Amino acid sequence: MDTGLDGKVVLITGATRNHGRASALAFAAEGANLLLCTRQSMDLLEETAQEASASGVRTVTKLCDVTDPDQVDSLVKTGMEKFGRIDVVVNNAGWRARGSLLDITAEQWEAALAVNVHAPFIMCQAVIPGMKERRFGRIINYSGIAPFRGASGQGTLKRANEGLTRAIAREYGRFNITANCIGPGSIDVERTAGQESGHETARELPDVPVPRHGTVQECSAMVVFLASEQAAYISGQTYLVNGGAYFL
Amino acid sequence: MESNLSGKTVLITEAARNFGPPTALAFAAEGTNLVLATGDSTDDLAATLQSASTAGVRVKSFHWDVADASQVDLVVRDAVAEFGRIDVVVNNSAVANSAQSFETISFSEWERKLGVEITGTTLVCKAVLPGMIERRWGRIINYIGLSAFLGSNAPDSASELGMVGLARGIARDYGKYNITANCIGPGGIESAEELGMLSFPPSDGDPLPRWGSTRELAFLAVCLASEDAGYVTGQCLLANGGKYFL
Repeated sequence: MDTGLDGKVVLITGATRNHGRASALAFAAEGANLLLCTRQSMDLLEETAQEASASGVRTVTKLCDVTDPDQVDSLVKTGMEKFGRIDVVVNNAGWRARGSLLDITAEQWEAALAVNVHAPFIMCQAVIPGMKERRFGRIINYSGIAPFRGASGQGTLKRANEGLTRAIAREYGRFNITANCIGPGSIDVERTAGQESGHETARELPDVPVPRHGTVQECSAMVVFLASEQAAYISGQTYLVNGGAYFL
Repeated sequence: MESNLSGKTVLITEAARNFGPPTALAFAAEGTNLVLATGDSTDDLAATLQSASTAGVRVKSFHWDVADASQVDLVVRDAVAEFGRIDVVVNNSAVANSAQSFETISFSEWERKLGVEITGTTLVCKAVLPGMIERRWGRIINYIGLSAFLGSNAPDSASELGMVGLARGIARDYGKYNITANCIGPGGIESAEELGMLSFPPSDGDPLPRWGSTRELAFLAVCLASEDAGYVTGQCLLANGGKYFL
């Protein structure tokens, strides 16, 4: 299947590991050039970029705190200077507010609100003018299992992100810009220190129709599909990749 | 229909604006005591306060900034001191925003909107949940709007859909304490138009091509709060004349 992504430019936030890294490699395989950022580790980001380069695409890496409008502007400016365009944005950077409402501190809440909701807002404002001009844009945001299964912290924020996505879908569809969410379920990912450690597979097997953990590659395949030329009529949606854990 | 709400206490987080006054009066008619809060002047609550008192219930009004945790805690503490409990919360806090292009929304405006509507609502829930858990009874009702589904504009849409997530989350996490959480999604209700909120006027293509009344809306809130709605949770009930089907 020709996705039409060859030569396009894809910006991925949080591209050092897991979903971000898998998406970077999947887009590279389609011939897309990459603008990759993280606020954590330039070394890990370089590793992702190097591996992606093996597909023969160009990559640019940059440290960026996506909750800071100035840093995001600077990131987008760098992308425009190096590539002249940003066609696809994958707002993958995330941070989970774990636990129930009464367990989440004010600091945890603010941090999760900033990364999960404010960051996509800031990023979309920065890239949409260019997408409008070129009459092409694909925005992919991350929902999750929380809004559907119910989780009073994370479920609220991910759902808010879906609301933002719908509004962008409505306003910019006429410019051939689509905005969608991917909703990963129980995926085998490597966790950051301070959240929990180890791989998700070390945890209990989920009780879902497809009785196993999903892979980040299965998620990035959906991200690539949503960014493809063929997905031009899909907008404002949340596509769940969750082994059937929840039916919309 | 018997709601079994008599003697219970209902907190309305914004009782002076849009659906606050009719909701307050609908609960007063069921014999509940009322805690009426507003982000504006408590003078704006005078008429509602008087009408509710006429119904023979006790009412107390508060001014607060719902985005400020310490103010929320203080109001809830005072209200509990007065009435002994808060059984029902109707989350109706809203920041009016002009319909404008996504690109022109300032980050501070966006932050304030979500600070009041999403963070503020969670602050209220955090303040009332411990008492509800203790008494093994609670009803949380969030007013949202059509923007959650239509994506009308980013601040409304994000905030409203966030409320849906919050209701589902509270439903999941606190259902075992006999606490339910639901959303009511109005669209095309007459009062919103008067108050300059984003409105969805009736069109000939609508299943019900007329404005809805605030009375019809407030009835849903009373229904969801009632004893017999105890098995309804995490849901979104739309009162929009059929403008959007879930």
